[in-house]
Amino acid sequence: MPGVLFLHETHLVAGYHEDDFEAAFRDHWMPTLAEDDDARLLWYCNLAHGSTWSYRVVTLTAVRDGAAYERLATRIQRGDLQEWMRALDTTRHDAHAKVLVPLPWSPMADLDLASVPGGGVDRDPVVYMQDTMWPFADKFAEYIEASGSVYSKSLEHRDSGAPRFLEIEAGFQPAFGSHLRREVMLMQRVLDVDRLQGLLMTDIPHEMRAPGTWMHDALALRDKWESVLLRTARWSPAPLEPASVEVA
Amino acid sequence: MLFVHETHEVVGLKEDEFETLYRTGWMPMLAEGDDARLLWYMHHAHGSGPAYHVVTITGVRDGAAWERLDERIRTGDLREWMQSVDGCRHDVTAKVMLPVHWSPIQAVDFAEVPTDGREHELHLFMEDTGWPTSSLDEYIQAWDDIYRQPLLAYADDMRAIPIDIQACFQNAHGSSTRREAMLWQWIPDAATVTHLIATDLPIERREPGTYMYDALAFRDQWRSRLLRTAAWSPLY
Repeated sequence: MPGVLFLHETHLVAGYHEDDFEAAFRDHWMPTLAEDDDARLLWYCNLAHGSTWSYRVVTLTAVRDGAAYERLATRIQRGDLQEWMRALDTTRHDAHAKVLVPLPWSPMADLDLASVPGGGVDRDPVVYMQDTMWPFADKFAEYIEASGSVYSKSLEHRDSGAPRFLEIEAGFQPAFGSHLRREVMLMQRVLDVDRLQGLLMTDIPHEMRAPGTWMHDALALRDKWESVLLRTARWSPAPLEPASVEVA
Repeated sequence: MLFVHETHEVVGLKEDEFETLYRTGWMPMLAEGDDARLLWYMHHAHGSGPAYHVVTITGVRDGAAWERLDERIRTGDLREWMQSVDGCRHDVTAKVMLPVHWSPIQAVDFAEVPTDGREHELHLFMEDTGWPTSSLDEYIQAWDDIYRQPLLAYADDMRAIPIDIQACFQNAHGSSTRREAMLWQWIPDAATVTHLIATDLPIERREPGTYMYDALAFRDQWRSRLLRTAAWSPLY
């Protein structure tokens, strides 16, 4: 059964043009995609200045299936979206992209495109921790499994009853033929932004790095990852939540 | 038609095993259906770039076929084969490409693609990847206007072609870097390359009105890779 594909793009935006760039996505890409059932813009996020590269924007666009992907790529190459893309290119230095598929356990594995607000929303920005991992050569499948059965469960803090800090909204791996093979990416919503401060300012105590903890045991699967802190635009269709207010 | 371009960083000790997996696995398994074909299997020539790099290009009929192929690799009959391949390489970098509007190769007739591993002489290709400062569309057009057409005219005059542009691709949206395009060029005579390597470009070949000069309006960053087909590569 065909599954939804996710186009992850990191845009290297020209600083002077950041507002034009954002407007192009908000006023054209998002509503244009909403005119049919092939694709929807999901996330529009700014990389938080002060935490990493400047003027970087991450977008994720959901595409219904492979056939819809080909139609979209062709529209951009030589169809009705060619001129728009050409104009967009004048507001950025470049864009690095990859096609992702959901991990088997991803909460977004069965995304219904109809559930995505095609006109955007208006809400306070939401912070995400986007983690990208590169498992060891022979541990790819094992890592995918463990990230769902162990790591994502550990975030629920069922044993301790502590308030949750992160919630995984989606987990991905690259589709065949795009980007790297051995990579896993998690879109994790930061539920309590104040606790980021503790993460930044506090050494991880030994007991949280001892055998039996994810921090320790996952080292058998990977020791290379990168976290990026993303902040959604007010109008970003995702996160998908009933409380959001769709703009007509 | 989609073209999946992969650069494999092969484990040196396993280069033969890696190649065998493609020759006796990927190529014939794809040949069992109509969705895809292995087209080129190329060695990045030692001494001209990173060691133990292999480039493959797989033709995929369309987006739906590509999705089916991805599914087979992740959860289907090709999963085990892919795990074996992963055991023979450090990693792989890939992109999905589309032929540009003037590319001589727009699609490949799968019925014409050998899948039996028949051998042939080795061919040298120069894969040029460029990153324009102009718009991508202008760059792609310029490649035809000021590079390919003069090459074709030269070939007509001299009755020999030094560089045979077989295809030109750009990345499918969302698959890789946006502002990038690639020329897939057969070099009929390897002496063309050695001359290029060993000879300074005279000033008259770098003046206004020459390709080397005029193309700077579109880009000054590109990378050439010298790729040699395997003896059994379906296309060469």
